[in-house]
Formats: sequence, structure tokens, C-alpha cells
Amino acid sequence: MRIRVDLQLCQGHGVCQEEAPEVFRVVEVPGAYDRVELILESPDEGLREKVVAAVRFCPNRVLSLEE
Amino acid sequence: MRDPRPRKASPRKVSGAKPGTGHFEEFLENPAHFMLRAWRECGELAEIDLGGMRNVLMVGPDAHEAVFRAPDSQLSASAPYQYMVPVFGEGIQYGAPVAIERQQVKMQANALRASKMKGYARIIAEEVQEWVAGWGDEDEIDVHRELQQLVLRTSTHCLMGTEFREKLTDEFGLLYHDLEQAISPAAILDPYGAGEVFERRDRARARLQEIIMDVVRERRARPAEHPDMLDTFMNARYLDGSRLPDEMIPGMVVWIMFAGFHTSSNTAAWTLVELARHPEHVPEILEEVDAILGPGQDLSFASLREIGTLERFVFEVLRLHPPLVTLMREVLEDFEYQGNLFEKGTTLILSPYVSHRIPEIFPDPEAFDPHRPAPENVFALIPFGGGTRKCVGNAFALLQVKSIFCALLSRFTFDLVEPAASIRDFMPSLILRPSEPCHVRARRRERSSS
Repeated sequence: MRIRVDLQLCQGHGVCQEEAPEVFRVVEVPGAYDRVELILESPDEGLREKVVAAVRFCPNRVLSLEE
Repeated sequence: MRDPRPRKASPRKVSGAKPGTGHFEEFLENPAHFMLRAWRECGELAEIDLGGMRNVLMVGPDAHEAVFRAPDSQLSASAPYQYMVPVFGEGIQYGAPVAIERQQVKMQANALRASKMKGYARIIAEEVQEWVAGWGDEDEIDVHRELQQLVLRTSTHCLMGTEFREKLTDEFGLLYHDLEQAISPAAILDPYGAGEVFERRDRARARLQEIIMDVVRERRARPAEHPDMLDTFMNARYLDGSRLPDEMIPGMVVWIMFAGFHTSSNTAAWTLVELARHPEHVPEILEEVDAILGPGQDLSFASLREIGTLERFVFEVLRLHPPLVTLMREVLEDFEYQGNLFEKGTTLILSPYVSHRIPEIFPDPEAFDPHRPAPENVFALIPFGGGTRKCVGNAFALLQVKSIFCALLSRFTFDLVEPAASIRDFMPSLILRPSEPCHVRARRRERSSS
């Protein structure tokens, strides 16, 4: 499982971090919105359910899953 | 030759421009209908003359994506909305530099975080239940008025807390109304001009400053946690660690209220109209709502859950009746789109109202069909805008609407009083709403087991 991030669309809501804190971290960016950072680009299968929820509930559809 | 297209394409011009004022009058009469005509006549790009300024309507997901991905330094959201500055206040939102405004948006987003929704859901459920308890077994409801009153209560309560809600909701509503009356075509041309409406606006804004500051001072004197948005603003800090100054808090409150009140109340109003117009879709929603609202489950819990049938219904409402029919950007640095060059000073207009009616994406677009598949392109359906400027209150808005309709549908059935076709998109202000008269007859459902 690989996660793709479209940073141009990220507003830093942090929904992903709430769903899967092992995988996503939202960091502050001076002069801009907070932005998501991947802690794990290819997380273990065990995290799939959480990652799928993060992708699905992202308010800006920033995240997508490959494979 | 790499690119066979002509170097400089240019959008077609919409017919019917009058000397001097261009399309301004027709635009004002009903921006939604004017934009629709412009698109039907000119296609994806339509040049509009609003009295000398160059405006281009850009329709469709590709155009939306190009605009939403452009940086603020190139396409400014702040420039076309400067008439909001006297409403929200200097130093707030578009009255502040972009870097500050972004941090303020973040404070707004923090007040609307998923983790806060539980608290809001409880407040909203309480308000909705109290409101509906006042209805008889068979009542005629003025749709727009009723939902406006209800959403005023739910949103003031979530925003300013219990003390404020109990004392001041009515005055707040009236002051807010005075601010809103000043958002007019005249304000778009010169928001600092003379005139009765502008004086009333400035008086209302000053009074709001006073009453909100009173609450802020009371709370600072007796520190405690409150489950409302004011609490978030009172604890908000800029990136450099400095506090959001107290005197800026009223501006944050007015801003979030402007963004959320009429947009949500009119979405709720249109949802009620469409439910009454399309009773065939009610049973499946009801079945899902009743299952969630089973014994032991309260309304606040239910409104936080996914309710697919109701959510799809609301999105179909937002497709046909997006409360904001246009989203504007001003070009600060030349912007190119599909061979067209838009120079500095051009205003670009996106229109959810128009783009949601593209038949290739939404077949038979005028038909209300909550079972339409969601478009694959994420930029096709944009009731909340998109990109980094997308509405940050999206989840909160949905929570309110879901809470209201879980409560209403589980207690009442609705019939339209006026003929279905008589209710149309109407724009007395900048926000789309159902035309009047618009009433539904609410009949109490036979009580089920719980």
C-alpha cells in the first residue's frame, strides 16, 4: 500500500492525523496553512483500515491510495 | 510547432451588454440565472462586462482545478471581496495581509475540528429538539423563516455559548441583518460610500463589537473551559506565539457567522422543499434514520454518524441550489488557461450553480435525483469551493443539516402548500434561497415503538 499526497490542496485540517496518527502528521508552515507530512509512505497492511478512513474523510481529498 | 492551437485564444463575449453598465443590471437581477445564460451562450469561458471591468466566467472541472491550484499571489481571493472589510473589521480576513489571514483561517478551522464536533452535536440536538417541540400535530411552516430562526439558534449557541445564546440571540440576529443589508451592489462599487444602509452597518458592527467584547471580558475575569467557538478564539495564537488580540475576536465571530449562517439555513430550507417535492425518496432516508435513532441512541449521536441516504440527498440539494452561486478571484499575475491569457486586473468567476448543470457530468441536470453517482472528478461538484480556500466549515454545516433532518423526519411528514413548480431559485441578496411564498404542512407521524 502506497499513499499519495496532493499538497497543493492540503489545508491542514488534521482529519488524517486523527484517523491514523501512526501514518500522518500535520505540521505548521510559516505563512501558509498547516500541511500533512507522511510518517510512513508505505504503511503495513495492518494499518490499512485506518489509512482508508483517513483517505475517505479528508475534507479536501488530498490523499489517495495506490494498490 | 509544438502547439497547433493559436497562441492567443480569447473567450466569447456574452451578448446584451449595455453601453456604460454592460451586463451589470442583468447580473444583479439574478446572478445565478445570468451566469447560466452566459455559459449557454458562450461555453466554458464567457466574457462578461460588469461596467468596464473584465470578468470571465470559467465553467467546468478543468477550469475549477486550474483556479483552485493557482497560488494566492497569482489569483487573489481577497481582492474581489474587499467590500467585506467594513463588515468583518480592519485586520480581519481580507482586511489583513495574506500570511495573517491564513493563520486566522486556521483559527477558524481549529474551532471547527472533528474533535469539537461531539460538543457541537450535543448543543445542536438540544436546540433542534426544543424548537421542534413547539410544533403542533399539524402546522403550516414558513420554510425560509423557520429554518433561519432555527439555524440562528444552533449556530449562535455553538459559536458564543449558553450565556450569550440565552440573552442575546434576537438582538444578534437583528444586528447581523443590518450588516447583511449593506452587502449590496453599491457596496461592491464603494463599501465606504455615504448612505443610510452603510451607517446602519457601521452602527451594527460597533454594537456587535461591544456585546461580544463584554462576553470576552466576563470570561477573562472568570476563566473556565467552554465547548464553543469563542473559547477557541480566546485561546488562539499566531505562529509567532502572540495571542489573537481580544479586540479582534468580534471580527472572527462575525466572519464565521457570515460564512455559516445563511449558507446553512438556506441549504436546510431547500432540503425541506425538495423533501416535500420528492416524497418518494423519504422512506429510504427514514428507514436509515430510524435505524440509527433506535432505542438508547440520541440525536447528537445520530447526526455524527454517516447517514448515506440523507447525505446524498443533501448533496443533490447543494448541486442544484448551491447557496453561493459564484466564487471570485482577481488576477494579480498573468494567468494562462488553455491558450487564453488573463492579464492582471481580470476577475475570474467560478460558478457552482452553472457547473453543476453540465449535462456531460450530470445527465438531465435539472432533474432532482439523489441517486446520481458522485462525479469521479473531485473538481466537478464544488458547493464548498475547492483547493486551499475550500470552506473550512463543511463538516459543521453538514452536522447541522443532518441533525435538523433526523429530528424533523423522525417526527413529521411534509407536504408542500404551494404548487411544486412555483418555488424557484431566488437571490434577493448574494445567497441563493427558495422564492416565496414557500410553506410546508408538517404532520406528526404516528408514534413508532420508541
